[in-house]
Amino acid sequence: MAAVHGDAHGHDEHHPSGIMRWVTTTNHKDIGTMYLWFSFTMFLVGGFLAMGIRAELYQPGIQILEPELFNQFTTLHGLIMVFGAIMPAFVGFANWQVPMMIGAPDMAFARMNNWSFWLLPVAGTLLISSFFVPGGAAAGGWTFYPPLSTQGGLGVDLMIFSVHILGASSIMGSINIITTILNMRAPGMTLMKMPMFVWTWLITAYLLVLVMPVLAGVVTMLLTDRHFGTSFFNAAGGGDPVMFQHIFWFFGHPEVYIMILPAFGIVSEIIPTFARKPLFGYSSMVYATASIAILSCVVWAHHMFTAGMPTVGQLFFMYATMLIAVPTGVKVFNWTATMWRGSMTFETPMLFAIGFIFLFVIGGFSGVICAIVPIDIQVQDTYYVIAHFHYVLVSGALFSLFAGVYYWLPKWTGNMYSETLGKWHFWLSMFFFNLTFFVQHFLGLAGMPRRIPDYNLQFADFNMISSIGAFGFGLTQLLFLYIVISCIRSGEKSPEKPWEGATTLEWTHLPCPAPYHSFEKPPIVK
Amino acid sequence: MNKIAEKTGASAWQVAKAVMFAFMGIRKKSDLEHDAATLKPAQVIIGGIIGAIIFVLSIMLVVRLVVS
Repeated sequence: MAAVHGDAHGHDEHHPSGIMRWVTTTNHKDIGTMYLWFSFTMFLVGGFLAMGIRAELYQPGIQILEPELFNQFTTLHGLIMVFGAIMPAFVGFANWQVPMMIGAPDMAFARMNNWSFWLLPVAGTLLISSFFVPGGAAAGGWTFYPPLSTQGGLGVDLMIFSVHILGASSIMGSINIITTILNMRAPGMTLMKMPMFVWTWLITAYLLVLVMPVLAGVVTMLLTDRHFGTSFFNAAGGGDPVMFQHIFWFFGHPEVYIMILPAFGIVSEIIPTFARKPLFGYSSMVYATASIAILSCVVWAHHMFTAGMPTVGQLFFMYATMLIAVPTGVKVFNWTATMWRGSMTFETPMLFAIGFIFLFVIGGFSGVICAIVPIDIQVQDTYYVIAHFHYVLVSGALFSLFAGVYYWLPKWTGNMYSETLGKWHFWLSMFFFNLTFFVQHFLGLAGMPRRIPDYNLQFADFNMISSIGAFGFGLTQLLFLYIVISCIRSGEKSPEKPWEGATTLEWTHLPCPAPYHSFEKPPIVK
Repeated sequence: MNKIAEKTGASAWQVAKAVMFAFMGIRKKSDLEHDAATLKPAQVIIGGIIGAIIFVLSIMLVVRLVVS
């Protein structure tokens, strides 16, 4: 083991101390840690906005937030959660795990890695500070459709710059991940021997490089429409607001898969470990991931069925969207088959992974329902859609992040988390998540529109239930923070290999905690 | 396609089969190992792009048939 990690005798953990360690670091583990803490901070900010939204919707009428501020809350909640919480969290996982899982000493472009991270706090600050400028934050929804976004105040400009910076950070992060995976794998680790998490990130990184420039382009067009007299999206000047929607969703739909493919990867690592069986259909999983990535680029207009489209277009996007269920179904089948007749144990990471499968399937099915044009025309912009994508993004992406944190915490910190509290975290999250979002299906089917601070009396009971669930879910995440901090500060020392079923390099070749510099000499993979 | 096939010995049909199975998301292990031994990444990428175009065209064809 000493052959593969240089500091078995503690001789090369030299780095600046104090704040400068974090400012100047080029170490993938330090940068991964910063990504994870940044994303959790943004998760708390986005969560605070969600609590504000649910507090206002607790009862009909306007109680806490004026409609203008309510709209700013919904807009920034979406933007912060998507770009500030979920995406950076997965990049944090990639930073920590990809080099260790492929037997590389660090990321390929270590300094660019540092810069990718340090752009994020700037972008986050721009977004949050937009609440305090005249006119307040952007309020046209996280999709910032014109004409609302061409009419907004300074807050919209701050949002545009923030999106530019976040996009640049994502592109640099992706280039780094692609180069690391393609060039720095240990001898013997062929592409088809890579762990699933690495595969899903490789494909996700290509998707990011493909679509983030599209987002950058569309927000720049928005910016020039706002300030430099162009009319890309202004019908009065010969432009077309619907064109914005097409360009935005050409980015936006692959973005959904950018947020879920790494989640698939994490779950594909955890299920085999705790079922003590190799992943069923590994190659199918790789193929299915690639297939989902390609299909995700030809389905974007299912977000716009009500925007005006010929029947031929509606049918095309409906059929293409429904076909994505095939590779996704293959994945769910493979996870289930991996568990079939395995020696399963139910530690916290496994609970979150199983919770992920269970709830993600619900979100997937409601997605197929939304893909059907006549139904989508009914449920467009209602709480049914809100329920659908929270089942995908919260119980999908977020649950997989929790699963991954519990799974790799011993590797990152050298300490074990409290299993009892972890299980409490899971069950409370599970209960409150469903309390919050399941009833929103009923609200949506009954016709309650999204992004509205007030509602008719018939929606009152389900909204109250949903708000109680949301407060419970929010508080439960403070328990998660407590679990992580107490694990770092006073957790029981982790055994060298806490999960006996784990087979990837970071568990088989590195101690707990992973040394500051790992795999200076690459391991040989057979 | 033929030009690619000449380079490595993997036939266009083999590339097409690999891509077709990838679109469904399934592949037999023995076939996969055979693919891994013979196919080059460039072949798979070009095959994938052609596959995606065929996929889009075939859905368009179905749509035309449905609305005609």
